[in-house]
Amino acid sequence: MIWLIACKDLRERLRDGRLYWAGGLVALLLLTALAVGASHQRGARAEQAAAQSSDYQDWLAQGARHPHDAAHQGMHAFKPDAALALVDPGINPYIGSTVWLQAHRQSEVKFRPAQDATGLQRFGDLSVGWILQVLGPLLVVVLGFNAFAGEREQGMLRQTLSLGVPPLRLLWGKALALAMALAVLLVPAALIAAAAVALFAGSGERLDALLRFAGLALGYALYLAIFVFATLGVSAASRSSRVAIAVLLALWIANAVVAPRVLSELSRALFPSPTRLAFNQALAADLKATSDKTWMQAFGTTERWSKDVPLNQWGIALKLDDQASYAVYDRHFGRLWDTWEQQQAVQEAGGLLLPLLAVRSFSSAMAGTDFAHHRDFTNAAERHRRLIQDIVSQDLVDHADPLGHQHFAYQASPALWARVPAFDYHAPSAGWALARGGASALVLCACLALAVAFAWIAVVRQRAL
Amino acid sequence: MNPSPSPFQRFRLVARQELRLLVRDRSLWLVGGLFLLLVAYALFNGMLQTRQRDQAQAALVAADSQARADQLAQLGRIMAGTELPTPFGNPANPANMAGGLGAQHAVMPSAPLAPVALGQTDLFPAQFKVTHQSKVNFLHNNDIENPWHLQSGHFDLAFVVVYLLPLLIFALSYNLLSGEREDGTLRLLLSQPLALPTLVAAKIAVRAAVLLGAAVLVPLAVLLIARPQALAAPGATLWWALVVGTYALFWFTAVVAVNAFGWSSATNAMVLVIGWVVLVLVAPVLLNIAVTQASPAPSRAELAARTRVVTAQAMSQNAALLATDYTHVDQPDTLVPRGGRLAMSGRAMANYRIQRQVDETLQPELERFDAQQARQQALVARWSAISPAAVAYEGITALAGTGHSRNAWFLAQVASYHQAWKDFFYPRIDGGLALAEADFPRIPAFHWREEGQGAVQAQAARAVLQLLLPTLALLGLAGWRLRRYRVA
Repeated sequence: MIWLIACKDLRERLRDGRLYWAGGLVALLLLTALAVGASHQRGARAEQAAAQSSDYQDWLAQGARHPHDAAHQGMHAFKPDAALALVDPGINPYIGSTVWLQAHRQSEVKFRPAQDATGLQRFGDLSVGWILQVLGPLLVVVLGFNAFAGEREQGMLRQTLSLGVPPLRLLWGKALALAMALAVLLVPAALIAAAAVALFAGSGERLDALLRFAGLALGYALYLAIFVFATLGVSAASRSSRVAIAVLLALWIANAVVAPRVLSELSRALFPSPTRLAFNQALAADLKATSDKTWMQAFGTTERWSKDVPLNQWGIALKLDDQASYAVYDRHFGRLWDTWEQQQAVQEAGGLLLPLLAVRSFSSAMAGTDFAHHRDFTNAAERHRRLIQDIVSQDLVDHADPLGHQHFAYQASPALWARVPAFDYHAPSAGWALARGGASALVLCACLALAVAFAWIAVVRQRAL
Repeated sequence: MNPSPSPFQRFRLVARQELRLLVRDRSLWLVGGLFLLLVAYALFNGMLQTRQRDQAQAALVAADSQARADQLAQLGRIMAGTELPTPFGNPANPANMAGGLGAQHAVMPSAPLAPVALGQTDLFPAQFKVTHQSKVNFLHNNDIENPWHLQSGHFDLAFVVVYLLPLLIFALSYNLLSGEREDGTLRLLLSQPLALPTLVAAKIAVRAAVLLGAAVLVPLAVLLIARPQALAAPGATLWWALVVGTYALFWFTAVVAVNAFGWSSATNAMVLVIGWVVLVLVAPVLLNIAVTQASPAPSRAELAARTRVVTAQAMSQNAALLATDYTHVDQPDTLVPRGGRLAMSGRAMANYRIQRQVDETLQPELERFDAQQARQQALVARWSAISPAAVAYEGITALAGTGHSRNAWFLAQVASYHQAWKDFFYPRIDGGLALAEADFPRIPAFHWREEGQGAVQAQAARAVLQLLLPTLALLGLAGWRLRRYRVA
């Protein structure tokens, strides 16, 4: 019987043209977004790989020079575009992808693509993720708002119930009809997207990318299922189709348009980020205090480069200074990034009632375009910077100036540069991403349970008389 | 026998009656109350964040002033022989002062109308610490902001107006005629000496008065009380009200045009929401994609690689100077100016030359980015007419001083300041001339010059025109359909 109800509802959606028009528009946008995402990714990946390779070749080919000068010039780490960024670019447009690994200080990732875009960037990015998150629920609403209310207005619902059809079977049948309508539109798009992901992923990351894609598809299935049951519940509980569409559109606007901004402001108010000045001042003060303490312990003075600490001590001083600073950077950047993660947790929690917040987080986690992945890349880049510093400082220790006045005359051979490996970053596995996005997935499951319970209660109240 | 009332009297009569009906109906209170709440929250948020930004900038300026005063005092002690300078923190050394030691912030202050649209303020820094180094070193030092927040955008008045005001217009007006027809009252009304256009105009006028009152008058009142600077920019304030009013007029006209087709209330609601989705959500996103595809930005990865190559070349050319040792370790007195001159250490001189060479070589590359961004923005200005939301957003952010044009204006001033900074320090570094106390007041300072109001208002006027044209087209369509409107 559930199957019969589903087939009847699906036939109606096809006959009244809603599935063709609304669904066709969404499908067209999905294909456009996929084409744009794939084109962007192909260019970005080739560019990043070429830049990373040429940067390292330049490092190796720099000839004989003073190691500290080489460290000052450093190298760049380019963040590779995740294979699933073509589906959901996440926060990528708002963070950079290039880090300068320089001497003495931890750099931040630079060159946000949004800064090279126009003011219209703030309206959003055309991506598969954006379409499914924002327009997907609207499609469900358009297809299902009169599923119960329309039949009640036409008198069909009373007839159906008087025949002894259990209300819950009606619910499952109508939910199945909506699911089939969505599947007709989204499964072909998903297959094309999966093929594109498999095509663009590197050979070593193809399986991982497809596993991530499966997780991502499951997340969107949960998200759309929430709206299927919410739509059916509201349709069953409303006096008329007019009331149902008004309530559902209000819910959609709250979820898709208002929630991200309101929760963003709320999370910022609950866990404020420091200003740039405050952050820099605190970091500089901590660095100075730590460095002074290190110098005092090692050399008995805080005065740099005097007769007490001549330049032939440069290597050891540099090494001690750098290594003492690592903990300071970890502490300050760690605190800042923890604050951002707390802000994100507030937004994810809001996903219980406004599921876009949870699916946005889960989707970007699975796509490898969320802040956790970005943090992992930044940490890897910083570890590489520290490796360069440690190798260079050790070389300066090993080649301390025996004459006392020709410290900078020393030139390391190219063999030293070859001791620094190329920066070869690989994003964490799908399991790691799932663990990071697990909280959002749980929120989505809880939200689905609430939506099913709501629809259940609304539907069992339907009476034939 | 009473003479027949004039069309204006009929209009007033219908408007008064409509207002009475709306007041008795809960929908006006609900929609009006909700809109007031949204406007109040957006204004509060805009005021709060503008104040926080102003305070952060004031703290920067204060820290800069304090640092400069401390350096001047330190220079006094050095010249008096009571203090020996450090090699990298010597205020007499022009190479030190041209770099991080003496650098001060160039700051773009908030415009008077900034709280109505936070716009791009979170994405583009409004302050840069300008040194003699290439701009590539300081133009990308962003403010601290969670990327999730950048992605979400702000809940400001521009958001309420551009995204939510059309929806509230729909909520009050989607059944403007269809509701009357479905209730059977339209036939009754039109059996009176009342023309359909007069009825529609009166109904729209009442709803527009309620919503525009909240969207324009409330923010104006709040701004005048809480941000008196807005009084100093009456032109911008007036244009802002005009842009918001014209944008609202577009959506009211769209509502009339949809109602004029004679569909049911449910169909009207559906058509309007789909129109909103297309014009507010989808069209700007597609336009952004089209502009970036048609005129893509140069590669930042290539710029980073180029920076590395240029720096390597400059370091190689100055290798001999870089190889010289610090003389101050054995002879600390060399750090103290003698006869207005200062012995520049070989490495300091090498670093200065390297930075200068990198700056001069990269400048054309950076200009390519600026030119490309200007081309993209010109494309947006030309094509944004396809989305009234994009037109309104660009117009409002331009007037609030948080859009692309004021940022470009700021960057042009930063470029001039950067040049003045280099012009001041380069001859002193080249000549080994120490900075004296008398030189301090002559060190270039950044003085913000406000963007020409003519250009801003021209941008707003173009936005109004771009909104009026589709409004007139919709009005023509509505008039044509209303003439054929079937009451039965």
